[in-house]
Parts: sequence; C-alpha cells; structure tokens
Amino acid sequence: MPNCTGAMIHLKEVSVEYETGEIPALHRVNLVVERGEFVFLVGTTGAGKSTLLKLLYGAVRPTAGQVWVLGMPVHALREREIPFLRRQMGIVPQDYPLLPRKTVWENVAYGLRAIGFSDRAVRERVAQVLAQVGMSTQARQFPHQLSGGEAQRVAIARAIANRPPLLLADEPTANLDPDTSWEIIELLLHINLRGTTVIVSTHNREIVDRANQRVVALDRGRIISDVPKGGYPIELDRLYPPITLL
Amino acid sequence: MRDRIAFLLSETWASLRRNTMLQIAAVSTACIALVLLGAVGMALYKLDATAHTLPSQFEVEIFLKVSVPRAQSLEMKKMLEAMPEVARVKLVPREQGWEELKKNLKDDVNLADLPNPLPDKLIVAAHQPEQLPLIAERVRKDPRVDEVLDHRNTLEEVLSVARLVRWVGIGAGGLLLFSALVLIYNAVRLTIYSRQREVGVMALVGATLTTIRAPFVLEGMIQGGLGGLVAAGLVLAGAGVLSDMMVRLWPFLKDLPPGLPPVFVLVGLPLLGSLLGGLCAWWAARRFVRIWGEV
Repeated sequence: MPNCTGAMIHLKEVSVEYETGEIPALHRVNLVVERGEFVFLVGTTGAGKSTLLKLLYGAVRPTAGQVWVLGMPVHALREREIPFLRRQMGIVPQDYPLLPRKTVWENVAYGLRAIGFSDRAVRERVAQVLAQVGMSTQARQFPHQLSGGEAQRVAIARAIANRPPLLLADEPTANLDPDTSWEIIELLLHINLRGTTVIVSTHNREIVDRANQRVVALDRGRIISDVPKGGYPIELDRLYPPITLL
Repeated sequence: MRDRIAFLLSETWASLRRNTMLQIAAVSTACIALVLLGAVGMALYKLDATAHTLPSQFEVEIFLKVSVPRAQSLEMKKMLEAMPEVARVKLVPREQGWEELKKNLKDDVNLADLPNPLPDKLIVAAHQPEQLPLIAERVRKDPRVDEVLDHRNTLEEVLSVARLVRWVGIGAGGLLLFSALVLIYNAVRLTIYSRQREVGVMALVGATLTTIRAPFVLEGMIQGGLGGLVAAGLVLAGAGVLSDMMVRLWPFLKDLPPGLPPVFVLVGLPLLGSLLGGLCAWWAARRFVRIWGEV
C-alpha cells in the first residue's frame, strides 16, 4: 500500500505491544510529520516516546498499523533492508554514548567508515560537521575529557555527518543543566533551519516552552494532544501536575 | 573498496585484542583437535596406500610335494595361469629356492653340505586380494600340492588396524573439534558482547549486517586458521615419530609408498581450521548481531 500523503513520516493506526507490558507501549497512534518540521515528543517516562522513535528507525516493529518513513514502509521492511532506511536518518539515541577508546574525531569518522565512506570523504565530512556543532577544537579529545553538553554535540555530529534529511534525538538534554540543554536545542533548531526534519523526545518543560515548536504529547501509548506551535501541553499538566517545592 | 577492507580489518584486530585468554583457549583447542585429525588423516592416508599396495604384496605361495617332477610343476603353472582370478604365476624351482635359503641363512646356519630338501614353489598373484583365499582353496585339493600359504591373517590384521585408527581417530578428533568449535563460538559471542557499543553505533548509522558481522567471522577464521597452522607444524614434526613407531610394529610397512605430502598438511589444516572457525563465528554473529529489536 503506497504512502499516500508523501509526508516525511506517516503513522497509521500504529500499536506496539511488548510481551511483558500490561498496557500497550503505543495504541492506535496516527501521526504525520511533513518535511522540514521540528517536532517535540513529550510525555512522562513510559509514555511511549522512545518506542515511537524506535519505530521510525526500525528497532521496534509495530504489532498493528503502518509506519512510513521517507516513503519507505518500515513496518514491512526485512532486517537486511533496515540499514538503507537508517542511512537516510541521523539517530541520537538515549543510551548509546560515544565510544570511549576513540577520540571525538574518530567517533564521528567511525559511523561514516562503517557505511563505506572513503577516507578522503570521511576527512572532509568530519571536519565540516565538527565545525557545525562547534567541536573542532576538541577533535583530539577522548569522551571522558568532555562535558555532558560537548559529548552530546559529538553524538549529534555523528548522527548528521551523513547529511540525512531526518534527525531523531531521544532525550538529548537528559542529565544536562538548563543552559547546556538550551544550547543543544539551539543546535538542533539550527540543523532544522538547514532543511533537516527533526524529531526530539523530551520531558524537559523549559526547553519545549522556549523553543515554541510543534509539540506532540503522549500518555500511556496514546497521542493526547498535537499542537502546531506552542509550549508544554496543558493536558499533561492536568494529568501530572507539576510538583511545587515549598 | 580499499578503505572498506581497511575498516573491516581494523575492526577484526580490535575484536581479537579483546578477551585475550579466551582467544588463546579457542586457538589452542582448535590446534589440539586439528593435530589429532591431521595425525589420523596422515595415518589413514598411509594405511590406504598400504591397502592399495596389498594386492602386489599378498600372494599365494604353493609348495608342491618334493616328489613332483619339474614337468608337472610347469603343467600346474599353466593350469593356474588359465584361472580368470589369477594375475600372474611365478615358478621358483627347488634349486633356486635352495640357493636363496642358503644365502639368507648364511650367517646363522651352514647348509652347504646338506642335500636340497625343498620342493618347487609357485607364487600366484591375484587381480583382487579378496580372491586369494578362493585360489588357495582350489589349489589345496590338488594331489601334487603339499602346502598353501595365503597370508590371509596378515591382510586381516592390517585392515582391522585401519578400521580401528579410522574410527578412534574420527571419534576423538571429532569430539575435540566440536569442543574447539564451541570455544570459538563462545569467544566470538563474548567479543560481540564486549563490543556491543561499536555494534550498536554501526547498526544505528546504517551499516549493513555483512559489515557488522564480517569482523567477527574474520576473527573466527583467524582463530581456526592459527590453530590449524600450529597443528600442521606439530603434525609434521610428529609424523616421523609416528611413522617409525608403525614400522616397528608392522615391519612390512617400511617398503610402502611415502605418506601425505607435507604441503597438503601445511595448507590443508589451516584451511580446514579457518573454514570451520569462520562457519562457527558466522553462526554466532548471525545469532547475536541483530539490527532490530532493542538497538
């Protein structure tokens, strides 16, 4: 069945059920993301944000529904076809840090070499992308010598080195202080301005309010709101009121 | 392509440097198994060669009665030559037999003054060694024949030794090889776990399954190949000792054709080790390197 809308991402009635879960990770989710959009996926822990991102890059298969990304039917792809989908996107995962025994430069080069870039092309791309994320001067440093924000910049550099049309970032500001978090979001917004579609999952209220982009809210596997421009959704505030410290 | 190969080789080298002790265990077990298989292979080759030369070595010796005149001996030779199972017949006249016996025993006994007690002898070779007992049976009934020797027991002994070596060697070598393959499988599995981050990054950036798995398969091939190389050295070094031992046990083996050429062992064992190691590693990589599921 063709992807009728021609959108960057099109989810049709998608459900995901894990064998261990009592409630589905995602339940009959419908979502369309057009080319060039910047979208925040928000929700509490366990809302289904990471599952939704994993669906997009083929790490999780839907138990029902269809997942179309860049015109490709991800729900129907075979395992050996997944790499060719992933080459069209950059992924900043939540729990895969940089390779500790490699320098910043080597970390970014590693991904390009793994997908067959020549040494010459790797040298050019790594230099460009490190400059783009503001990490040129730290190219020879190892991950343990970097701050959290710098490490995240390198992870973003690695994800966009292949110049993908789509960038997925899973909780890129987790464990970062507010200023550094905003720097990372500014970097992602800048990447978005250059034409890349960006999807960011987060539960960081401040950056969502400040960025004023499209916000899709998830709760227990369902989309409960989808606002084209705005801050942290009031629906989530009603369900989970912010804790005020006296 | 050159850059791609360089990347795969650098990843393989990185894999090999992890879990050094496990790598050593895998290589040495592969080596022991291949030593056993190599030695058995060489022994079987030699025994096979023996089996092929047996038809010329094992002949029926027919001793005629002393009273049988030469004309009768020649007539019997013609009769034997007419039999379809018989390849050739040689008549050893009693005079020639006596001269040969005196020559063979000259250091032990002085036979010069004794009268010749030997009869004429016919040596019969068959087309197939299995036909020897049949020929012997037919000839035994002839009234001119005194005694028939067909060396059946010696033939049986060599063939039973060959069977024993084959089954013991294949059984023990097979068991050890299985252990080696399990160890290589485990070594690769642990390497995959220890390189989970690299595997994860490669999977996320869109490296193909072949690219991600190839370094692990190469690792298994190198483990098996190294084991095979060391095994080839040990087998060739031990071949002389083994050959001497066999000749001491069965002296008639000394005139047999040479054993397996060394180049076969030097190339064959590393190749076999490398092939089996690669297959094992491919199996482990196929099972443990996935790009969907929880990346």
